[in-house]
Amino acid sequence: MTALPVAPAPTAPGPPPRKPRTIRPRDTPQPRPTNTQTETHDQERDSTMSGNNSRRPRARTLLALGISASLALTATACGGSGTETGSEGEGEGKIVFWDNNGGVRTEVWKKIITEFEKENPEIDVEYVGIPIADVQSKYDTAIQGGGDSLPDVGMVGTAYLANMVAQGALDPVGDRIEDSPLKGKLVNGMVESVKAAGGEKDQMFTVPTSANQGVLWYRKDMFDKADLPAPDTWENFYRAAEELTDRENNQFGFTIRGGAGSVAQALEMMYAQSGIESFWDGDRTTVNDPKNVEALEKYVALYNEYTPKADLNNDFTKMVATFTGGEVGMLQHNLGSYTDHVKAFGEERIGGLPMPPSSEGGPRTLVSNPVDGMGLFKSSGNKAAAWKFIEFAASAEMNSLWNESAGAIPAHTDAADDEWINKAEPTKAAMESLDDPNTKIVQLPYYLPDWNSISKADTEPNFQKLLLGRMTAEEFADDLAKRLNEAQVEWSEQKG
Amino acid sequence: MALTAVPKKRPLPGRPGKPGKPEKQGKPGLTGKRGLPYLLIAPAGLLMLGFIAYPMLSVLYYSLQHYNVTKPWRNGFAGLDNFREIFFEDPLFWQTLAFSAKWVVAEVGLQLVFGLALALIVNQTFVGRGIARALVFSPWAVSGVLTTTIWILLYNPSTGLSRYLADAGIGEYGTSVLSDTGTVFWAAVLAELWRGVPFFAILILADLQSISKDLYEAASVDGAGRFRQFWHITLPHLKDAIILSTLLRAVWEFNNVDLLYTLTGGGPAGVTTTLPLYVANTGIEGHDFGYASALTTVAFVILLFCSILYLRLSKFGGDDK
Repeated sequence: MTALPVAPAPTAPGPPPRKPRTIRPRDTPQPRPTNTQTETHDQERDSTMSGNNSRRPRARTLLALGISASLALTATACGGSGTETGSEGEGEGKIVFWDNNGGVRTEVWKKIITEFEKENPEIDVEYVGIPIADVQSKYDTAIQGGGDSLPDVGMVGTAYLANMVAQGALDPVGDRIEDSPLKGKLVNGMVESVKAAGGEKDQMFTVPTSANQGVLWYRKDMFDKADLPAPDTWENFYRAAEELTDRENNQFGFTIRGGAGSVAQALEMMYAQSGIESFWDGDRTTVNDPKNVEALEKYVALYNEYTPKADLNNDFTKMVATFTGGEVGMLQHNLGSYTDHVKAFGEERIGGLPMPPSSEGGPRTLVSNPVDGMGLFKSSGNKAAAWKFIEFAASAEMNSLWNESAGAIPAHTDAADDEWINKAEPTKAAMESLDDPNTKIVQLPYYLPDWNSISKADTEPNFQKLLLGRMTAEEFADDLAKRLNEAQVEWSEQKG
Repeated sequence: MALTAVPKKRPLPGRPGKPGKPEKQGKPGLTGKRGLPYLLIAPAGLLMLGFIAYPMLSVLYYSLQHYNVTKPWRNGFAGLDNFREIFFEDPLFWQTLAFSAKWVVAEVGLQLVFGLALALIVNQTFVGRGIARALVFSPWAVSGVLTTTIWILLYNPSTGLSRYLADAGIGEYGTSVLSDTGTVFWAAVLAELWRGVPFFAILILADLQSISKDLYEAASVDGAGRFRQFWHITLPHLKDAIILSTLLRAVWEFNNVDLLYTLTGGGPAGVTTTLPLYVANTGIEGHDFGYASALTTVAFVILLFCSILYLRLSKFGGDDK
C-alpha cells in the first residue's frame, strides 16, 4: 500500500483523515453479555450495600430485574432494520408520503396530491416535507427504528439510493413499471442512472421523476455592461471571472462553493475542463489524473482572487444568497436554483449554460447529477394505494407540472416537449446538451455506500484546506482517490 | 466551630422490642408500608431506566460492535477494536478532544468572569435595576439554533457588520470572521458567551442575595474596603455555587453541538470540530454508529473522571474553615 499522500503543514489546525480501519467480518461471534454484566453489577452492588443483610435478596431481585429490563431494551434497539415486508393492502385508505425537499417543493406537491385525491377519493395522502439537508438522516433513523415510522412512498435521490437499498428499505419497482402506463415512457438515461445508483445490477428501486444538470449561471446585465461574451468556453469563463471582479466596489466575478457540497461541484468543474470521460479506469478512479489535478488548480485559484473570501463556508444557501445578493457575476450550480435566480433578477437578467466543452468545439464531459425518484417502501402496509400515487405523480401531466416548478428535466418522455421547457432557456440548454450524442456523461459512483461520507464528511474539510492553500490540488486529489479506490475494492468484493 | 458529638443510635426508653431487631412495620409487599416508597419512586425509576439507562447501555453495547447501517456485511462483534482505533490510530480523536478542552476552558472561564461581574452589578441597588436584570438574563431564553441565526446574520459578509465596516473603509468586502481560521474560534466563543453568561449571572446572583448584610457591615466597621469584602466575604460564600455552575457549564460546553454545528459546521477546514461534532459526523454522515458509540463512551468516561477530580480538588460542599 502506498503511503497516504496527504501531508498538511505541521501548523495546520485542521484534522487529518483517520487511518483506514481493519474490520472483522460479520461472522465473528456475537457476544451474549447478560451473565457477565449481571455478575459485575451484582458485585458492585454488594460492595456498596449498607450492611442490611436481610434486604439483600429483595434488592438483588430488583437490581437483576432492572438490568434484565435494560438489556432487553438494548437488545430491542438493534432489532429494527426497516426491512419488514408490508402488504399490498386494499388499495385505499391513508398513505404517507415524504418529500425530500420540504418547503421548497411543498406547494407543487400539495397541488399534485389534491389532484390525486380528486381522482382517487378512496385514498388519503398525508404529505410530510423533510428539509433536503436532513432527508438522509431522517430515512436512516426511520429505517433503524424498525420501519414503523417510514412512509409508504418517498422521494429518493440517487445520491443516497444505494444506502437505502443496502438497508433493504425499498421495494424493487421494475415489475410494477412493466405493468403500468409508465412502461416505455421514462427517459432511458434516467432509468439507467437509477439502476446504476441502486447498486443491484438491473433492479430499479425508484421511478425516476427528474434529472438535474450542472449549469453556469451568469448575470446577463453585468456581462453586457462589461461587454463580455457569455461563458460558453472555459476561456470566456475565466476571463469574465477576472474582468467582472472589482473588490474595491464589492463586486466579484464568481462565487465558489467552499462549504457543504463543495466536492461534487469541484468534480463537475474538473471533469468538464479535463475532458476525461470516465470516473474509473479499471478499479482505479481518474479523480487524480494529472489533467483533473490541473483543472482543479485553475478552479480553486479563483478563490479569494475573484470570489469573496467568505466563500470558504459557502453551502448551497449561502452561495445562492451571495449570487442573488447582486454582487457576483457567475455561479456554478444545478438547475435547482433556477427559480431563485428568476425571483431575484427576472428571466431577462439571468442566463444559464451547460458546462463548456473541454476544448472549443469538442464534446462536453458532464458529471452525472443526482436523479430524483419515487420509492415504494418495503414496510408499507398499503402498497397498492402507494403505487397508484407513484403512477399518478410520475404521469406526463404531473411530472411536467413538478419539473416546471423545479426548473428540472422531466423524466416522462411525453413531458419533454411541453411549452414551458422552450421558454426556460437553461433547462432547454441542459436537455439539449444531454441529448447531444457527442456528450460524455461521467457517472459518479453513487452506488458506493461510502460515496456520501467520502465526498462530504471525509473530504470537505480537505477542500477548505485546499482553498486556504494548506493542501495542494495533487494532495487533495490523491487523498480522495485513495478513499474511493478502497471503497470500490470493498464494494467489488461484496457484490462480486 | 465546635461540633457536638452525635450519640450512637439506641432504643428509646420505654419502647418495646429487643435492641437491634427491627420493629415490625405493617404488612410486607408492594402494598404494605415497606413497599410504598418503592411504589412511589417507581415512575421516576422507570423514566430513568427508559431515558437514561437504556440509551447509555445501548451506546455501550454498540461501542463493542462494528455497526455501519450502509455496510451490513461489516457488522459484527468488535470487542475493543473501536477503542484501540480511537486511542492509537485516530489523530482526529486527539485533535477534536484538544479543541474541546480549549473550547471548554475559554467558554467556562470567560462566562464565569463576565457572569460574576454582571451578577455583582445587578445585585446593587440602582434605578432601572429590574430592566437591567431582564436584559442580562434575556439571552438565556434564546434557543441555541436561534442564537446561531442571530450571530450568522451579524457575521454575514453581505448583511453583517463586516459589510458596514467595509462601507466605512475598514476592512475588505466579502469577508467574514467565520471564514478565517485565525478568527473563527473567537467569533464562535463570542456567540456562545452571549448565550452562556446569563446562566452564571442567574446562579451567582441568587447566591449573592443569601449573604447576610451584617457581614458586610461588620467588615466595613473593621475598615475593610470593597475589594477585601469581596475577597473575604463574597467569594468564599459563592464557592459552592461557582463550583457547581462551572462543573455543569463545563459538561454542557463539552457536549455543545447546536451552536458550533449551525455556526461553523466544525470548519473551516475542521478547525472548530469538537469531539461531539466528530461523533455526530461519524454517526450521521458516515453511518458508522459503532465507532461513534465508542467515541461517545470515551467522551463520557473522560467527563466523568474530570468531574470527580474537579469535585474532589475543589472540596465541593466541604467546610472551608
